[in-house]
Amino acid sequence: MGAGRVHEQVTVQESSNRSVPAAGSDAGAAAAAPGSGGPSASRASRVLRSSLLRLAGRRLLTAIPVVWGVTFLTFAVLNLLPGDAAQALLGADATPQEVAQLRVELHLNEPFLTRYGHWLGSAVTGHLGSSLGSGQLVTTILAQRLPVTFELIGYAFVISLVIAIPVATVAARRPGGVFDSVTTFITLIGLSIAPYILALLLILLFSVDLALFPALGWTPLSGGLGANLRSLTLPALSLGFPIGCFYTRLLRADVIEQLGEDYVVTAVAKGLPSWRVLVRHAVPNSMFGLITVVALNVGTLLGGTVIVEQIFGLPGVGQELFQAIQTRDFPVLEGIVAVFAVVVVVIGLLADLLYAVLDPRIRYDNPGQ
Amino acid sequence: MLEETGLTGAWPTGLDPATDASGSANQSYLDAIYGNLFELGANGQTIDDLATGYTIAADDKTVTIELRHGVTFSDGTPFNAAAVAFNFKRDLAAPVGDTPKWPVSSITTSGSYDVVIHLTQPYAPLINTFHDANVNWIVSPTALSKMGENAFKLAPVGAGPFTVVSDTVSSELALKKNPRYWAPGEPYLNTLTFKSVASDEAALETMQAGGVQGYEGMQTPQLVSAFSQQFNVLDVPSTSPYVIQLNTAVAPFSNLAAREAVYYATDVPVIDQKLFGNLHPVTEGFTAPNGLFYQQDVPGYRTYNLAKAQAAVKAAGGVTVDLMATQSSVTQTVLEALQTMWQAAGMKVTIHVDQLPSVIQQFESKTWEASLQTAGAFDPAAGLGVNFRFGSASIFSGVHDPALDKIFANATSTLNTSSRQTLYDQAAEYISQNAYAPFLFPVNGWNIAAKDVAGPGLTTLIPASAVRPEILWAQVGFTSK
Repeated sequence: MGAGRVHEQVTVQESSNRSVPAAGSDAGAAAAAPGSGGPSASRASRVLRSSLLRLAGRRLLTAIPVVWGVTFLTFAVLNLLPGDAAQALLGADATPQEVAQLRVELHLNEPFLTRYGHWLGSAVTGHLGSSLGSGQLVTTILAQRLPVTFELIGYAFVISLVIAIPVATVAARRPGGVFDSVTTFITLIGLSIAPYILALLLILLFSVDLALFPALGWTPLSGGLGANLRSLTLPALSLGFPIGCFYTRLLRADVIEQLGEDYVVTAVAKGLPSWRVLVRHAVPNSMFGLITVVALNVGTLLGGTVIVEQIFGLPGVGQELFQAIQTRDFPVLEGIVAVFAVVVVVIGLLADLLYAVLDPRIRYDNPGQ
Repeated sequence: MLEETGLTGAWPTGLDPATDASGSANQSYLDAIYGNLFELGANGQTIDDLATGYTIAADDKTVTIELRHGVTFSDGTPFNAAAVAFNFKRDLAAPVGDTPKWPVSSITTSGSYDVVIHLTQPYAPLINTFHDANVNWIVSPTALSKMGENAFKLAPVGAGPFTVVSDTVSSELALKKNPRYWAPGEPYLNTLTFKSVASDEAALETMQAGGVQGYEGMQTPQLVSAFSQQFNVLDVPSTSPYVIQLNTAVAPFSNLAAREAVYYATDVPVIDQKLFGNLHPVTEGFTAPNGLFYQQDVPGYRTYNLAKAQAAVKAAGGVTVDLMATQSSVTQTVLEALQTMWQAAGMKVTIHVDQLPSVIQQFESKTWEASLQTAGAFDPAAGLGVNFRFGSASIFSGVHDPALDKIFANATSTLNTSSRQTLYDQAAEYISQNAYAPFLFPVNGWNIAAKDVAGPGLTTLIPASAVRPEILWAQVGFTSK
């Protein structure tokens, strides 16, 4: 629907400044395209700033019950699982007396709500507690491991966008053509394959056969940027390729839709080269859907790191989360899911703010939306 | 600089022997950092390391451990009797699974290099318990006091061949040569890095890519040939055979006929052949070829006989059984085979493979019916010994028989080896007579090493004391350099 494309939580003010662009003029085409400025730009800018602030405030307030809900549900689910940290940590060869002793030491003998209350009370003051296993502060664990996971996710997004934007752009130019057909086939495979299968295939190809990338482990930035990126390339590709395929399909459809819009037809009719219309106008105006799913995919990618970090032996939060579930280490688990929840909320907020930057006509002035 | 990278499991509670709840599974790391007092060498011989010997007094209740002279911890403090006695007392009070069950009355020192263990009764497996117990790894009391327990468990200090460079819990442990190590010229490696890996398949690919030079505890028989094409593969026989535990306290296995039906309905050689290509020696008792007191055949043992199984099911008035197992690389397929065989005998069988905490909870509930587990150890009375699965006092036992308890107790307190052998033979026969639990076979593991890497336990066989055999890391090195 072109100019009518909106994010689910924003409204679009119809622009009244569509004019026929001058022949061969980008400015003319831009003016006709959604997202262009107009005579009331100054007023719109003020409205935009205030609405953005309101949005940010509302979202940050919304984050509080979201994070609380996530941590409570996590705690409840963990409580429902058979066994507890004392059993999991001591293993099968511990005596019942040893398990009981550890249970008391870890306060696992206290009621569920009491334990959650203790954790929540500490968490709101910034103390996420200590690992039941290693005794490390959860904040220390997060500080040690989050950079690995964030770098992995960032790299995966870069890979996905590097795949999606050019491929979708070229494919959309001639729908049904050879390039479009081939990339459709490849992206469907990418959408079908599980990241852990892809990871093993990538190791087989790029580590075993071609010896281009390491199959296991992480090199910190202090070991050199090249070595750092080499150690993360296959894990990032395992995560990034499937979502890159998804983005390709999404963006291709949006670009094709944009190419049928009046402003594009007008721009072409006025003599702008078709590539220029595509790259400068149709593609940017197709980005809104992509921004939405990129924001939504942050949660998916965080979940994906649990498997991928295991396979590639990356010392990130996903690997720690896996261990924490196995050992029922609830302070670590709660700390990680709380951080994940905050990250997802903040990225969602940033995506909404980005809409307004890309399209000043978008306003966030209705709290109900 | 030489570098060796091995692969093994998790250490969520750190690497202090008194608080490491995965101690016996983490023995590779602990051995590398702390060394051992005694090592389990080739052919099951106890060999000296930080201890140089032991004596047992005439009363059989006083054991003196003699320590190596002139050794220091890697922090430069002395390794002596006071330090070892401090560790013994601390470890014996530790609520972790690999704390030895010594009947100890006190621990004292005699001079600077003798530690004396005073027992309340003779305890035959005492020295063998060192091989899979926390008392074998001696921490520096000075470093522990200075750092505190929480910091120490993440950067432990011992007198072993390596010291800790960095420790990312359950992910990567980087070690370097201990310049104060007591053995001249050892360790051969300058650095040793352990990394966790997700699966045997991932380990194969990682080794093929050249990222690591060793893999400890491979468990997938189907991958042996793939590993063998490029690497040295050491077949490591387990000392703990699989056993089908039957809960004799509840129906249906409170009934002897139902237990007999399970014996007769289980075709162990076929399972070994079809699932494992006859890789494992079928056993009829709780010992295995690589452990002590091994006896393969037990007189009167009930072997597969479908007609007798069907008759026993009928005599029991029908048998409906729920069979569980702890998740591992082999248990699901073995359970499915058992289910098929038992159903052919007329039993109604449900099976489920569960995570360890769930299995423990089912044992605690005391309502479980049958369970596929492993039993025994290098020494049946040490570590996760036979009492764990057959003693009345253990919650993980399906048998509550004072007569059997007495045989085990006698075997534990009898120091004469041939007398112990006789007692364990009696115990195996008693279990068989009462159809308490049919045995299958010990499932082998494999240690993998790059072609130019060699060392005891990695490329030459050492018996598995507990979860897997020790690797003597001080003597592991590159053959090409």
